[in-house]
Amino acid sequence: MSDIDRDLLPEGLEDRLPQSAAAATRIMRAILDVMDAHGYDRVRPPLIEFEKSLAARMAGIQPRRMFRFIDPVSLRTLALRSDITPQVGRIAETGLAAAPRPLRLAYAGPVATIKADALDPKRERLQVGAELIGSDGVAAAAEVVAMAIDAAKAAGATGISVDFTLPDLVDTLATSILPLDPQAIDAVRRELDSKDAGGLKAAGGESYLPLLYAAGPFESAIEKLAQIDVGGVLASRIAGLREIAARVGGAARLTLDPTERHGFEYQSWFGFTIYADGVRGLLGRGGTYRISGDAEGGEPATGFSLYPDPLIDVAANGTAREAVFLPLGYDPAVAAQLRSGGWRTIAALSDIDEAKALGCTHILDGTSVHPLS
Amino acid sequence: MSRPLTFAVPKGRILEEALPVMARAGVVPEAAFNDKDNRALSFACENGDMRIIRVRAFDVATFVAHGAAQAGIVGSDVVEEFDYPDLYAPVDLDIGHCRLSVAEPVNSGLEPLGKISHLRIATKYPNLTSRYFERQGIQAECVKLNGAMELAPSLGLSQRIVDLVSTGRTLKENGLVETTTILPVSARLIVNRAALKTDPRLGELVEAFRAVAEGRA
Repeated sequence: MSDIDRDLLPEGLEDRLPQSAAAATRIMRAILDVMDAHGYDRVRPPLIEFEKSLAARMAGIQPRRMFRFIDPVSLRTLALRSDITPQVGRIAETGLAAAPRPLRLAYAGPVATIKADALDPKRERLQVGAELIGSDGVAAAAEVVAMAIDAAKAAGATGISVDFTLPDLVDTLATSILPLDPQAIDAVRRELDSKDAGGLKAAGGESYLPLLYAAGPFESAIEKLAQIDVGGVLASRIAGLREIAARVGGAARLTLDPTERHGFEYQSWFGFTIYADGVRGLLGRGGTYRISGDAEGGEPATGFSLYPDPLIDVAANGTAREAVFLPLGYDPAVAAQLRSGGWRTIAALSDIDEAKALGCTHILDGTSVHPLS
Repeated sequence: MSRPLTFAVPKGRILEEALPVMARAGVVPEAAFNDKDNRALSFACENGDMRIIRVRAFDVATFVAHGAAQAGIVGSDVVEEFDYPDLYAPVDLDIGHCRLSVAEPVNSGLEPLGKISHLRIATKYPNLTSRYFERQGIQAECVKLNGAMELAPSLGLSQRIVDLVSTGRTLKENGLVETTTILPVSARLIVNRAALKTDPRLGELVEAFRAVAEGRA
């Protein structure tokens, strides 16, 4: 057998080489620093867990999209995490069950899926996020949205746009002012999701048509939503959205799409998606939910996750960093002093090492540093 | 937000009907667009700020789903075949009507669909076809063809075909008969999800097409 493909990486997986690995470290740290400054403590759950615990706490996390295998020790199914949020939920309910609430936790790490999305071949992504456990109220949502925007900015995102949604809107309306046949709910939700006005009528959701039009820039969309809300069932939600929007202020462009459900399988009353210039698709999302996964029991929580890989790809193309070349016979004490002063040093190992070729921008001459011409 | 929007339209069947609708919504391609000898693929638009590209119908959906084009026009058959989560189909343009149907040879004596568990079908729409038959408990083995599906049954490639039918003439001339309709088809305005959320021009475009479709413009 030929060995040509011995070093081929599987589809959707890649190495981050120096420039992009450095950008990844920098961006991950910038986001973690923002969350740390807001009082969120970092936790580090393992890469692999029992499938059952990864899948149990949240709807919409599909075990069949995870890498799974049998644990030779316990003979139970293990899975590689595809989302860190349920792990944080598990920690909050077990190890930190007795910790005072609200509990603020942050996390960062790689996640993997066995099958990529139709549009993005990546199977491994970096996920960085925070969860506020113990509250899913307006104050919690406002804090999380504002922090998510700060974090995205710290990661280098520009032109940030945040889209608000009400994930449980259809369920709420279907049992109140816009009654729906239980069998029709799924079809109506599907058509609302693809914004298909024709399909929505065909699915028996004609009364939901105005909701399609109540999407767009926040100020005008929330007005339209308020007009639809004849019985006042949505009054508290609308007031909540306005409060969150006020907290964001001018930090990001705001839009509202009350019927967006895509990617919000486990969220309850509030969800949001973060977009940024130059990032195809979304940069992150978040919202309110209950840790057990069903609406009845479980602890309320609010959180968000950023997927900063596209930002890392952009940052990796930036200019090279500065470094000082240390020629043979340099004084180690001087070099140590340079490093403690923030310089990056690259030492010659033999007389054939060349400063430029090794990516140096400066050279040490005795005790002084000169730029390379 | 200075980059021009890219609007993708499909070559062929739908395009002729789509141009007047686009014009009423304010999307008018430069004169070169209608020149049959012009081999360019990308055209300017009379009202500036937009570029029109002419590609195959399936590629319209791919361009828009990836955000390479922000909006476009394509049949609902293509939208359903791909079922991309990043594609919105907000406006039914009520043009390009036809249907996606199952057809089989006349007097074929084939077992009726209710009695079989496995099928071989020639089609351009493998996803839609297998989804449709899965719901009826039938595993459909799809042979993907890019055209001339009608030949498949007579040459023994498959027993049945799934294809677009408008008048039914092509089927008839090839000795086939339509048995079931899978999906009624019409042309849709499609837009990229992220673009709609982040670029206010897309919202205006959707509103313009919506007004045309509802007879307000």
